[in-house]
Amino acid sequence: MKRAITQAAALLLLGTAAGLVNNAFSVNGIDPFRRLEEVPVFENGGEPITEADADDHDGICFVNLEEFREMVDAGYPIIDARTSDEYKSGHVPGAILCDYFEMGRYFDFVLPRLDPGDRIGIYCNGPSCDDSEMLGRELYTMGYKKLCVFKGGMEEWREAGLEIEHGAEEWSE
Amino acid sequence: MSRRVDTGLFFEIPGGAARAQAGLLVIRVILAAVFIYAALQKIDKPLMFADEIGMYGILGPGPLLNVFAIILPWIELICGLALLTGVFIRGAALILAAMNLVFIVVIAYRTAGIMSAEGTPLRHVYFDCGCGFGPTYAWKKLIEDAFLFAFSVVILLSPAYRYVVGRRKG
Repeated sequence: MKRAITQAAALLLLGTAAGLVNNAFSVNGIDPFRRLEEVPVFENGGEPITEADADDHDGICFVNLEEFREMVDAGYPIIDARTSDEYKSGHVPGAILCDYFEMGRYFDFVLPRLDPGDRIGIYCNGPSCDDSEMLGRELYTMGYKKLCVFKGGMEEWREAGLEIEHGAEEWSE
Repeated sequence: MSRRVDTGLFFEIPGGAARAQAGLLVIRVILAAVFIYAALQKIDKPLMFADEIGMYGILGPGPLLNVFAIILPWIELICGLALLTGVFIRGAALILAAMNLVFIVVIAYRTAGIMSAEGTPLRHVYFDCGCGFGPTYAWKKLIEDAFLFAFSVVILLSPAYRYVVGRRKG
């Protein structure tokens, strides 16, 4: 057992070193000392969230299809939290690709296109997908305080027969 | 009168040492494959992994959670490779046994939390445990982890190994 413990200690050291070195040099690396903020979630008791509501409340608000469509039409920045392949096969017109699973790689291109004071819409695949909310929590911690998550996602957008844009973002190719 | 055959395991099985070592190799490969696959799903995605394990609410929102998300996949990968190659195999088995035990406890804890908060029966508790295999039923994950724990213990307690890289005969 003594040998097993010695070997385990060596493997743990190796794993720790490999992880920290990779994190230091990877574009997806994170600050080990970052601290996620508590994110206020705003829901209007099932009632539609007005523009004034969304502007008055910091945090994440959950919007329905109608509210989300208004945001798209009004030209607010919309983030697609799905993968690059999913984005290519059809996305909300004008949406900015930011794959939640590789957000570190995308932030350099996405963040300059966002204004921390502006409302930002986020969506992913559909009601069973949490990536849009998770991405919203990351963005909140980074200083983007007015986030509107559309839980219906691409699934509901598609079902409603709304306009879909195809193709990749130029920089992501 | 039966003769005791040294199988290289801590228990005897019919067929003697060769079959026992082949069985041990199968267990090693299964365990290694599971952990290498799981590691590759999480390596270099520390933000995502931190979010997933943050859902357990055990490591807090700060540095402990981040460091855990950064290093755990690498430890899984290195242990998987150690099992495959046979190098430092006991150490890898010890780490994986301990890790699986912890996984079982924290998944059971989160499952109990969901059951009491939402009144969901055990068979319907479904979430992404952050293990690298996507969302699944909690009861299924607990059984899987119990098997992986048992496999790790078998490898850890086996007195001899064959099929070790760099060694001609085990």
